[in-house]
Amino acid sequence: MKPDTPSPLLSVRGLTKHFPVLTPGFRRRQTGVIKAVDDVSFDLAPGESLGLVGESGCGKTTTARCLLRAIEPTAGVTLFRLPDGRTVDLARLSDRELKPVRQHAQMVFQDPFSSLNPRMTVRDIVGEPLVIHRLAQGADLDDRVSAMLARVGLRPEHRSRYPHAFSGGQRQRIGIARALIMRPSLIVCDEATSALDVSVQAQVLDLLKELQRDFGLTYLFVAHNLDVVRNFCDRVAVMRKGRIVELAATRDIFTAPQHPYTRILLSAVPSPDPDVKMNFNVGEELAKLDALTG
Amino acid sequence: MNFPPEAPLLDVRNLRVSFFTPDGVVGAVQNVSFSIARGRTLALVGESGSGKSVTAYSLLRLVQPPGRIVDGRIVLRSQRAGEIDISHLDEKSGLLFRVRGGLVSMIFQEPMTALSPVHTIGSQIDEAILVHQDVSPAAARRLTLEMLHKVGIANAAQRYAQYPHELSGGMRQRAVIAMALVCRPELLIADEPTTALDVTIQAQILGLIKTLQREIGCSVLLITHDFGVVAQMADDVAVMRQGEIVERGSVRAVLKNPQHAYTRTLLDALPSRRARVM
Repeated sequence: MKPDTPSPLLSVRGLTKHFPVLTPGFRRRQTGVIKAVDDVSFDLAPGESLGLVGESGCGKTTTARCLLRAIEPTAGVTLFRLPDGRTVDLARLSDRELKPVRQHAQMVFQDPFSSLNPRMTVRDIVGEPLVIHRLAQGADLDDRVSAMLARVGLRPEHRSRYPHAFSGGQRQRIGIARALIMRPSLIVCDEATSALDVSVQAQVLDLLKELQRDFGLTYLFVAHNLDVVRNFCDRVAVMRKGRIVELAATRDIFTAPQHPYTRILLSAVPSPDPDVKMNFNVGEELAKLDALTG
Repeated sequence: MNFPPEAPLLDVRNLRVSFFTPDGVVGAVQNVSFSIARGRTLALVGESGSGKSVTAYSLLRLVQPPGRIVDGRIVLRSQRAGEIDISHLDEKSGLLFRVRGGLVSMIFQEPMTALSPVHTIGSQIDEAILVHQDVSPAAARRLTLEMLHKVGIANAAQRYAQYPHELSGGMRQRAVIAMALVCRPELLIADEPTTALDVTIQAQILGLIKTLQREIGCSVLLITHDFGVVAQMADDVAVMRQGEIVERGSVRAVLKNPQHAYTRTLLDALPSRRARVM
């Protein structure tokens, strides 16, 4: 990082989430814990995009959810700088203290088919956060919803329609509008483009980049697709088994990976260039790595 | 059966598949032609709704009403059963039964599509053998265990007795591959076989398909939306859009030097090829 780096927007230290392992049956005695997130630390500078990558079960989504308290972390500190300059520990706020803070940190979900309420119109979906936080009503609410829809590339007449009338890419735009209408400083994208076709994915990524410039957003971008992260993020954290194994500038991760797991992960990606051969042998290599690290 | 060496295993000519819905007729596959040579891999690539899966389903006559093959020929030149026009077989014919799972088999994106949740892995693969081969149940069991071992499932004897829900996604896909290949088909249709899997698991499954293809000598029709998978797995590629093949050729020619504007658009949209926007 540059020496004149501004103080971080989000500073995560020792974030941990353990799930109990219980015996089956009535008594449900605890026999162990699963360390879904195990001592994760990183900083997010204002205006940057940090990619959080790894395979299913590595803890990347649990990390994202613990940050925004969608699930309760077991331990750790999550210092978040508010627009008024105050810094709060998201991990320790009570529910009542958390509510006003939530408008500054929003989430965009993977599945545009299950994250939007099918019985609500687009106007209600996008406007709901403003209503919940009592920030707008009536004509003001309508104007702000319309302006936000236009901003994400939807038309005003879309306001009265229901989610089923939209394509996957359009639904993702609705999800983005709902997150952005609160004018947050931090957006956590959890596999936000994973369900989309490549051409639509490219459009949504371009939109997210544009919005980042215009609104000064900071992204935590959770994804399993390494090519998307390479294209979108300034820095990348690679997770495995609940831990960050490597965190570096995107260029360094992709051109000079330091951790053996990062190297194996990158070699397994099928390149669209027929002259760049992928590694079919990752199974053995991962087994060897596990034997070494225990 | 002996065919001239240049005769492809599969010839699809002017295939048209339409869906007759209450709102009108949808031409899902329109005048599609392609062929697959013996031992080769053809990738059918396109975005959702392009008709690539419907094309694949047609080859096994699996298109369900209101969908129907309205025109075209699907000629399979089987070493074991001779020349068969799959598109004109009677729904109840013994030959169609033999084609499905015997001469041509299919693996799906979601392995649970092909697995019964209430039968053990072993009994399902046994059944595939007993349906298509004249062997005793004990011999089928031996074949199944050998095949489970071949697809890289450790403790085959223990896995044999387990149910699909007891296996991870990657292991399930291995079991489905075992079931698909145990009758040594001449054509394997793989419909997005690794789309639901992690990249390191995907690499292992793709490697497995390649190895077994070489061993059995079958051809592969690979349905995918991923140009990376195309580049690493296929010899030839056909790009589909709105029910038509807009471009086809060798993988190298199409990916390195695409001729059709749509192919170029798709390749330019790949995150790995897009200039980094800052």
